[in-house]
Amino acid sequence: MSAPTVTAPAPERTRSAKDVARAVFKRQETGLLGVIILLGFVVSLINSNFLRADNLYNVLQTVVVVGVIAVGQTYILIAKEIDLSVGSVLALSAVTAGSVYGSGANPWIAMLAGIAVGAACGLAVGTVVVLGRVSSFIVTLGMLSIARGLTQLVTGGLPQSMPPQLSFIGQGRVFGGIPVSVIIFIVLVILGQLLLTRTIFGLRVTAIGDNDAAARTGGIPVGRTRILTFVLIGVLAGLAGIIFSTQVGVAEAQAGTGYELDVIAAAVIGGASLSGGRGSIIGAFLGACLLGVLRNAFILLALSPFLQQLSIGLVIVLAALFDQGRQGNLRHLSPSALRSRFLSGR
Amino acid sequence: MTNTATPAALAVAGLAKSFGPVRALRDVSLAFPAGQVTGLLGENGAGKSTLIRLCSGEMRPDRGTLTLAGQDVSFGSPLEAIAAGVVVVHQEPLLISELTIADNLFLYDLGERPAYAAARRGENVARARELLRRLDMTGYLPDPSTLCRDLSAASRQMVDIVRALSRQPKVLFLDEPNSSLTHEESERLFSVVRRLRADGVAVVLVSHRLAEVFSIVDHVIVLRDGTFVAAGDPVEIDEPRAVALMAGERKRAVVAETVAERREAVAHADDAEIALELRGLSGEGFDDVSFTLRRGEILGMSGLVGAGRTEIAEAVIGVRRTTAGRVLVGGRPVRISGPGAAQKLGIAYVAEERRTEVFHAQTVGYNLTVRILSTLGPLGWVSARRTNDAARELTRRFGVKTASTEAPITSLSGGNQQKVLLARALAAKPRVLILDEPTRGVDVGTKAEIYATLRELAHTEGLAVWFISSELEEVVELADRVVVVRQGRLTLDAPNTAGPQPIVAAAMGSTEG
Repeated sequence: MSAPTVTAPAPERTRSAKDVARAVFKRQETGLLGVIILLGFVVSLINSNFLRADNLYNVLQTVVVVGVIAVGQTYILIAKEIDLSVGSVLALSAVTAGSVYGSGANPWIAMLAGIAVGAACGLAVGTVVVLGRVSSFIVTLGMLSIARGLTQLVTGGLPQSMPPQLSFIGQGRVFGGIPVSVIIFIVLVILGQLLLTRTIFGLRVTAIGDNDAAARTGGIPVGRTRILTFVLIGVLAGLAGIIFSTQVGVAEAQAGTGYELDVIAAAVIGGASLSGGRGSIIGAFLGACLLGVLRNAFILLALSPFLQQLSIGLVIVLAALFDQGRQGNLRHLSPSALRSRFLSGR
Repeated sequence: MTNTATPAALAVAGLAKSFGPVRALRDVSLAFPAGQVTGLLGENGAGKSTLIRLCSGEMRPDRGTLTLAGQDVSFGSPLEAIAAGVVVVHQEPLLISELTIADNLFLYDLGERPAYAAARRGENVARARELLRRLDMTGYLPDPSTLCRDLSAASRQMVDIVRALSRQPKVLFLDEPNSSLTHEESERLFSVVRRLRADGVAVVLVSHRLAEVFSIVDHVIVLRDGTFVAAGDPVEIDEPRAVALMAGERKRAVVAETVAERREAVAHADDAEIALELRGLSGEGFDDVSFTLRRGEILGMSGLVGAGRTEIAEAVIGVRRTTAGRVLVGGRPVRISGPGAAQKLGIAYVAEERRTEVFHAQTVGYNLTVRILSTLGPLGWVSARRTNDAARELTRRFGVKTASTEAPITSLSGGNQQKVLLARALAAKPRVLILDEPTRGVDVGTKAEIYATLRELAHTEGLAVWFISSELEEVVELADRVVVVRQGRLTLDAPNTAGPQPIVAAAMGSTEG
């Protein structure tokens, strides 16, 4: 049937173990894990307390709140959006749960109410972004202020007690000392990664962030998927609010202030691209861990907290540069390119 | 037209579509027969792409009907058209780079299956291998588990083609499918096309590689200026005849007069001073390009979209890197590092895309004077009065129709915005003006005004004009001399005295004409 000029079909190519190894090596996550292990090794040489189990659990516990939201932020970045409102939504969810409990409700109902408020914030943002065609940067900047304002209104500025029945979420430990919140975090990371790479929803998010036009002609419900992505991060911010407030037993109106930047940093360090299409939940997890290890290291090594802030900033920029290099976007800085640019001509 | 005994898979009647003042398609009626390969031919802007978009649900026609296998149809979206069996392979493949070949082949699953469903990506890979085996195309693509961002342009195109075939089309439009393919790769594509023809599919091929088109088509349709010109079998409409039909014989008479005048001018044009010269310029997308541009001369550069015309212009003004050759301005070899350096050497450039060239949120005055701000005041200060005077002077001189120079640029029509861009380039008093598609989407009246302005500047002030145009009429009407680019090389450099035929022949790579 086929024309004589056509070459015989090549034998089917399957990926060899070497290809897989190379693919793993090239991933952002592998590099991150290497950096974390190296950093941990150096710190443990100086201060042996670093590698003690309870210290490691502590490190993880401090990154849970940021990490849980970073799972959602990764979805948002992959869909080529951004969410700046997460810190405020976290606080609004927490005080909602606290005041619903305070008005005599069942503690579990109170928790669900808090998470539902987070989802509602996400729904509101997503709807305005999709139907109003306003950039998500602006809409979530507005929501950052709206949610914080609502938080103050609800509480009158006073801390709300969280139900003691829920304190196991933030404070409980199981299996010989593993914090419950850390288990929740890890389960969410695994579910998040599976949702991203193994479900229709996850591939839709990748498609709309990568090539909006192709997604539309492929029949993907682009608007609905975007809104759902914002609902997802709203739910996760709400859950993070519950974890955060049960860690200390009270929901404060100022909780989570400035967290949006840490959350975006964790996602970006983990390989999420602000230009859409690319990102990894495992990467965001490792990104959050790297931030936690850095903070812990500065405490254990008794270094200046100012140096800590500076070095975290450096890590964010370096991770983004590394990612650009990995994508092959820094070829214009290679020695040969620079040579031909400046020495050619005459 | 009634030569086909085979039934029409898809027929259109009275189809019309306008974009603002531009009538892209006017009252077109034609049919694509089943089980045949139809070559849809026409110059750039003849209406081929619009026709495809109307047939595939990407746009709705202003008027006219579509008939699919005898039934009247109307598609609200590409998905509806695909469901009915009308599938398009686009020139620029619509792929998700971060997903694998297999995921892209079954991209429609993402829309059709529920959001909570498992993606079954492993199964997709197996299904993709099976699909490729069934289509006998296993060797055409890397393993389906490969990410699309790692693919070559040819493989990306092939993914789009396989995806189209997997939808079991009744009518398949291939819009320039082989523009990025090598000869061997196109031959593979054509073997697939032959198989589809045997299965009774109506294949519609749009391609500017005429020799290849004529090696496979059973039926030829020619469009020109948004109208149907002719249809027939390839014996009736052979390659030279198709070229003639595309160029439009009716234009010959009109052109004849201007050509006669021009011959006189050409006779003593060669003594004018050389303003710009390219010597063996090579770079990505073009190779060994040499020509000269004299003072007072209007040079038209013709060729197909993607032939490398814009790349040559960009290389001259220093936006694009060159690998060999030199540029001489006024006889001196120069190295131009960018548009700013070009402006200092007296070269002005107006790029192709008006949308990206205009400062949308600003006034007409700002848009006119933005490149000459440094001349409008001392030490980096910009005098409001002098800016205003300069802007007024420019609107007057170039006939920009605006309420005031303070009006927002977006309040102007496309044609007037184009005049603003022209005036902005000329405000710096260049000796050489390079224009890329100077009248795209501009109405006829404004076009004539722009031509008159350019002629006057060239013939009275000695401005050297080099314009790039995909509109054949424009080149024939405006240029003193014509160069044609085909696949990155100059295939014609001659005085514009012979009408459109040699230009089309050189652009298409046809030997006849």
